[in-house]
Amino acid sequence: MIDVRDNWRVLMLVVLCALAAVALFGPLGPGAGGNGATDNQTQAFGDPTNLQYGLDLAGGTRVRGQLVGQTAEEVQFDTNRESEITSTIVSELQGEYNVEPVDVQTRPNSNAIELYKSPDQVPQSAFVAALNAAGLDVSEDDISVGVTDTSREQAVRVLETRIDETGLGGSSVTTTQTPSGEHFIVVEVPGADRERVEELIGSPGRVQVMLGYPNATENATEPNMEVLLEEGDFQRIPGATPASASDTINLPHVRIQLTDEAAQRFQERMVETGFTQNGVRGPQQCRWEEGEEPDPNQYCLYTVVDGNITSAAGLNPDLANTLESGNFDGGYVITTNSMEEARQLEVDLRAGALPSELRIESTSYISPSTAQIFKPLALLTAFLAWLAVSLVVYVWYRDVRVAVPMLVTAASEVFLLLGFAAAIGMALDLSHIAGLIAVIGTGLDDLIIMADEILQRRDEVKTGRVFQSRFRKAFWIIGMAAGTTIIAMSPLAVLSLGDLRGFAIVTIVGVLIGVLVTRPAYGDVLRKLMLDDVKRK
Amino acid sequence: MGRIDVERAPYEEYTDRQLAAIPLVILGISLAIIAGAYVMTGSPVALGFEFTGGTEIQFVAEDTSTDEIEQVLSEHDIENVRSVGLEDNRYAVQTQATGEEAEAIEQTLNEEYGNGEDVIQRVEQRSASFGGDTQGQALLGLVVAFAGMSILVALMFRTFVPSIAVVLSAFSDIMIPLALMNLLGIELTLGAVAALLMIIGYSVDSDILLNNHVLRRRGGFYDNAYAAMRTGVSMTLTSIAAMVTMAIVARVFGIPLLGDIALILIFGLAADLLNTYLLNMSLLRWYTGGDSA
Repeated sequence: MIDVRDNWRVLMLVVLCALAAVALFGPLGPGAGGNGATDNQTQAFGDPTNLQYGLDLAGGTRVRGQLVGQTAEEVQFDTNRESEITSTIVSELQGEYNVEPVDVQTRPNSNAIELYKSPDQVPQSAFVAALNAAGLDVSEDDISVGVTDTSREQAVRVLETRIDETGLGGSSVTTTQTPSGEHFIVVEVPGADRERVEELIGSPGRVQVMLGYPNATENATEPNMEVLLEEGDFQRIPGATPASASDTINLPHVRIQLTDEAAQRFQERMVETGFTQNGVRGPQQCRWEEGEEPDPNQYCLYTVVDGNITSAAGLNPDLANTLESGNFDGGYVITTNSMEEARQLEVDLRAGALPSELRIESTSYISPSTAQIFKPLALLTAFLAWLAVSLVVYVWYRDVRVAVPMLVTAASEVFLLLGFAAAIGMALDLSHIAGLIAVIGTGLDDLIIMADEILQRRDEVKTGRVFQSRFRKAFWIIGMAAGTTIIAMSPLAVLSLGDLRGFAIVTIVGVLIGVLVTRPAYGDVLRKLMLDDVKRK
Repeated sequence: MGRIDVERAPYEEYTDRQLAAIPLVILGISLAIIAGAYVMTGSPVALGFEFTGGTEIQFVAEDTSTDEIEQVLSEHDIENVRSVGLEDNRYAVQTQATGEEAEAIEQTLNEEYGNGEDVIQRVEQRSASFGGDTQGQALLGLVVAFAGMSILVALMFRTFVPSIAVVLSAFSDIMIPLALMNLLGIELTLGAVAALLMIIGYSVDSDILLNNHVLRRRGGFYDNAYAAMRTGVSMTLTSIAAMVTMAIVARVFGIPLLGDIALILIFGLAADLLNTYLLNMSLLRWYTGGDSA
């Protein structure tokens, strides 16, 4: 008969193992719901568990980057001066450093002004001079490199949307901070190669529609260019459409629904500039071709992405009539040269623009086929390590009754850890496997300490009280050892050293599971052995 | 219960100074090697590309050798080419270059070995500034971990000599592998940093065990010390067995990270045997006065 009170530690271990089994193999784990590409690959591999695999073991790309910019902090200014400050800074920096209005962002709530240019592009002294010109009391000490949290959050949202738009599942966009206060944005996309990901996140992706029309007052030597539509004016983007002969537009294109306010403005400007009259046909009709400078004599609607003109269009007579009559419904179409361009444009339109350029600091790519090979090999490595340990333990103790429970306990620690990983949906990487092996190592160390401590001078042990005292002594050592391991690993768990974080977290959780659950249970097993021996005598 | 025992080492025959001399001399040599490397290269151990910035590209190429690959890539500025993994068709090339230069190398490789297919299996790339940050962080991590461990040990024992004995032997356990890395030409990778941190954990285990047995138990110094030694040596040997397996298997299969961690841990664990049972032991014997106390 099992005495629950005496064996509760073993029972707890059994219950937790059962829970881990449910998390690993049950249908309710977070992995079962279908988490995109990682899952598909898992299934393709015939993996029966709910474990999720990270890039090392599933393949894909990880990119770490920083938003370019500098921020003036603790700047006091009135909300109603915002636009004045912005325009002063822009005019100060425009000529020499090519700063545009979108590069300057005022943040009255956090008393900060951001310039989305790195100190290499605009020296801090120039930024300070521009701020001073705007009547702000700022010195170089107030300028920090980097952008505000608000900008970073915006960037994360934009990147998430962009990646979601492309249907690359299982991706993640996260931020990390180094102890020195630098922030990084980490983008992980399983199953995608680097060019794809870098293309996806590398550019700010700011889409504008600019109106170009002949300058009527002078001798038409310079084109008039004005921003007609930009982010915020697009209410709905029904999507990219391929070219089809049956359609009125025989080119790949993106349809856009403008907001009422933007539609109103669009209509007014188109009529006021004479586009609807002079730009529809004749010599002033739009005839821009890729790579050309805008012709000052033509009426064109330029699509501009990140400051580069990607396409230009004139007006068809039907739309011109609609605009003239004031019945414009806000439906707008941008044509592109290829379907790929159309899709990219659609993504940019939907996701919006990154506040500033994301400078890529590190990338890592592993092809899915290589990663798939690593998975069984890494597990095999862990298993072989466990076997080697088994051999040493057996040779050492020459007693299966001590050795077998020891190895089973060590294996159960790994099982619990895997269950934990499946339950919280941790994506397993090589670093986690290394952590698992480290846990086997420290776990066995502790079990050996317990076995030696409790089994020493065995003939003296006759009662539970002696057992308790020895168990406590052994536990003191184990607790201390666990404490030092956790302290040694905690910097890694906090620092953004990339791969090593997983290693540290697995080791720390493993040590905790060991000290709180599995190692006490092993103590119970040892006591049973010991008391059996006593009875037999 | 039959069980193999550590032979009772003849500690009585040697003085504390003689015992401590061996590990201290080895520590001294290690520090000299590390200092020498620092003077010559400006860093205590050769840094992997994760810390210096650069790119590592792993690819598949049939019927070739590292020399041939170096020929193929002679136009590019590369650091080294090595063969990786179980099969003889996988290679890794390292370069200081990043961005477009690195992409040019990939292109050359694809053109030469790909027949229109992608031969690139794995690419790791870091900018130099990011590598420098990583370096600083890794160092910070080591220092914080070591300081934290020292404080915890001091709180545990609340006496000067035993605490110092533990901290000193942990310090030596880290320095000896670093010196060995210099001698064997192993670069410091992120995996190696993880291993050095693990060494702190492993090293302290056996030292705490020894101190605890000697200081907190009745009975003679040697009886307690041998009891601790029997347990401690079996622990360390088990760990070494696990790590040797991991080192060999990871190398054969060409799995990154795992091999680095295992190799450095083997160095550290071996150093730990030396430091615990010579350095720490002699300090403890001196502190307690041995059996006469």
